[in-house]
Amino acid sequence: MNETDLLILDAAERLMSDFCTTEAVARHEAGVVSAELAEAVMDSGLPMAWVPEHFGGVGGSLTLGFDLIRKSASYALPLPLAETLVANLLLAVSGLSVPGGWAALGYDGGALPVSERGEVDGTIEMASGAKEASVIVVPVLEKGYLRIASFAPSTIDLEHRRNLAGEVRTRVILRSAIPSQLSGRIKTISEDGVRQFCALVRAAQIAGALDRVSVLTAAYVAERKQFGRALGKFQAIQHRIADIAGETALAGAAVQQATRMLGACEHPLLGDHSTAISIATAKVLAGEAARKVPQDAHQAHGAMGFSYEYPLQHFTRRVWNWREEFGSEFYWSERIGFMIKDEVQAGPESSVFGLAWDFATR
Amino acid sequence: MAGIRFNFPAPEIDQSINELRNEVRAFLHEEIRGGGFVPVADCWCAGVDRNFSRKLGQKGWIGVTWPRKYGGQELSALHRYVITEELLAVGAPVHAHWIADRQSGPLILASGTEDMKRNILPRIAAGECFVALGLSEPEAGSDLASVKTRARKVDGGWEITGTKLWSSGAQHCQYMTVLARTSDPVEGSRHEGLTQFLVPLDSRGVTISGIRDMSGVEHFNESHFESVFVADDSVLGQVGEGWKQITSELALERSGPERFLSTFIAVERVLEQASRDLTDREATVLGGIVARVRALRAMSLGVAALLEEGKSPDVEAALVKDLGTRFEQDVVERLREFGPILWKRGSGDLLDDVMADSLLRQPSFTLRGGTNEVLKGIVARGIGLR
Repeated sequence: MNETDLLILDAAERLMSDFCTTEAVARHEAGVVSAELAEAVMDSGLPMAWVPEHFGGVGGSLTLGFDLIRKSASYALPLPLAETLVANLLLAVSGLSVPGGWAALGYDGGALPVSERGEVDGTIEMASGAKEASVIVVPVLEKGYLRIASFAPSTIDLEHRRNLAGEVRTRVILRSAIPSQLSGRIKTISEDGVRQFCALVRAAQIAGALDRVSVLTAAYVAERKQFGRALGKFQAIQHRIADIAGETALAGAAVQQATRMLGACEHPLLGDHSTAISIATAKVLAGEAARKVPQDAHQAHGAMGFSYEYPLQHFTRRVWNWREEFGSEFYWSERIGFMIKDEVQAGPESSVFGLAWDFATR
Repeated sequence: MAGIRFNFPAPEIDQSINELRNEVRAFLHEEIRGGGFVPVADCWCAGVDRNFSRKLGQKGWIGVTWPRKYGGQELSALHRYVITEELLAVGAPVHAHWIADRQSGPLILASGTEDMKRNILPRIAAGECFVALGLSEPEAGSDLASVKTRARKVDGGWEITGTKLWSSGAQHCQYMTVLARTSDPVEGSRHEGLTQFLVPLDSRGVTISGIRDMSGVEHFNESHFESVFVADDSVLGQVGEGWKQITSELALERSGPERFLSTFIAVERVLEQASRDLTDREATVLGGIVARVRALRAMSLGVAALLEEGKSPDVEAALVKDLGTRFEQDVVERLREFGPILWKRGSGDLLDDVMADSLLRQPSFTLRGGTNEVLKGIVARGIGLR
């Protein structure tokens, strides 16, 4: 990581610790948007981190963006920063103009078809970021080729719903809808590439949220006293804390590895075999950690962690949503398995021995 | 979380690393095809083959990080990592030289006399000299500081008396590193007064007897030392500093690929057997296993990179071992979906053999080198809870 990236991350950290308080997160869920927080994040330029400088962005590295996403999740940032980063990147890579402001991701794992006349039909069940957004970015398919479309929210039907964590997810209904911008066929983006990229975004968010869960839990058991001593003095509790630390660190390491690998790709949205393995690994481990860590963390917190007022639940509810989005650990385990299966079918039988290890070291 | 890094540096993979990996992998597959060795589960603790160790020595793949003048290749820790993980992944019989390559060699290099370095290290690197660990005792398991073996100062050296237990492979070894008390424990500082000695196992007064484990193998030993004389220059490092030396070796010992690959050969055999008949369901099980191995590898390499940077990632290393050893146990259970484990080794079926051995050997994974309960305690201390 270079010095500029570190400075940007530091600034983001300060900004969020100042404005993204537990109270702000709770108020946001109740429908009261913190204008202070939203303005601070927007003014910081963070949502433009992945937009090249000649498009008016920061031109930051892929790693920087993923680190920002992880960091923002460790504050349960109730704003579509991650979605805006991805949507802006899609616009920029396709040569479309990036309007600035919040942007929504009109994609939940499957791209809608676009007709030759440029009309889009169909329903996106779970767009994210659409409540705040001034633009909804939708990857669409024309005869197997990916194009990027963008819509002004006022021109299409939106049904907002709230997920387990109170984050807005939106059903976007498009009926022969004409995009306000539509790119040509983009050879450097594929549908699976977008799916992989978004899966890594959610994995990074899970890693960030679990970073915070670990810190909260360690601090709570050091503080809270029962039977005359701190909970953290009990071996049973210590072992839970160690389990939390282990699963969190492991998921974090997998996310980092995938981010580094993707950062080295010329076209990170193209999605090939090698990116799929690393990203699948990250989402599997994040998904597994999203089950185990909240179990241990809530147990260690007792009733306090179950109360709305205490911050823990903002993070555990989020990871329970994020693990499902863009493919669960089950889906991505299957993806790796099917890649192995494909190679078994394609190669000579004598090359099967050693194939599992080959997949482990690619 | 205080005291724990959730960020790991990336290992520096250059072309020489990839070339070495390909060379080692090709050699091992050729050896297997030619009958040079039969892959075994838990190979680094149960697969003894002196010829194979010598072959690796001739290849220059033992002691690779050591100075050339002591038989090494002056390669990086990452080069060693790649060699060892490739060996583990195919279940190569590496037990004979494993401890000497991983632990005793580096210990001699750091704390041994010039004589030891010149005489012993080249033989270890050649795959001809093996070293056992003399740590545990009948009354000292997890609580290692309570060792009772005594070393008494005598004219020109030390006289060692005591019993070491569970020393893997001692019957194949020429030396043992023995942890002994050189002064009485003091209240509040029981880690003081311990010293490590390099004891030639052909010394007068040494008796070694095998202990059969539940998998039917006799690789454990009870080693008895009855007034065994060793010269002054057998002391490794400083008298009384043995505990510090042992604990500083631990990060490396705990975070290596042997902490999550002990049963990986079973994964390969299962895949090989299923081959084109691999079902979707089985493929998904394999996918889940491969994902976790990849993550453990990323974390383990991250700890290796921290060590290279001169950091002391003790807590992170303990986490790798806790997660990794539970995983290599879990692998056996996940693979049962492909078929039952019913028969003892010796059926002649390559898959049955590694599955049976993997299951019968797995209780030791979460015990050896510090139980997982001890490891979790280290993590808790690192976080500041104790």
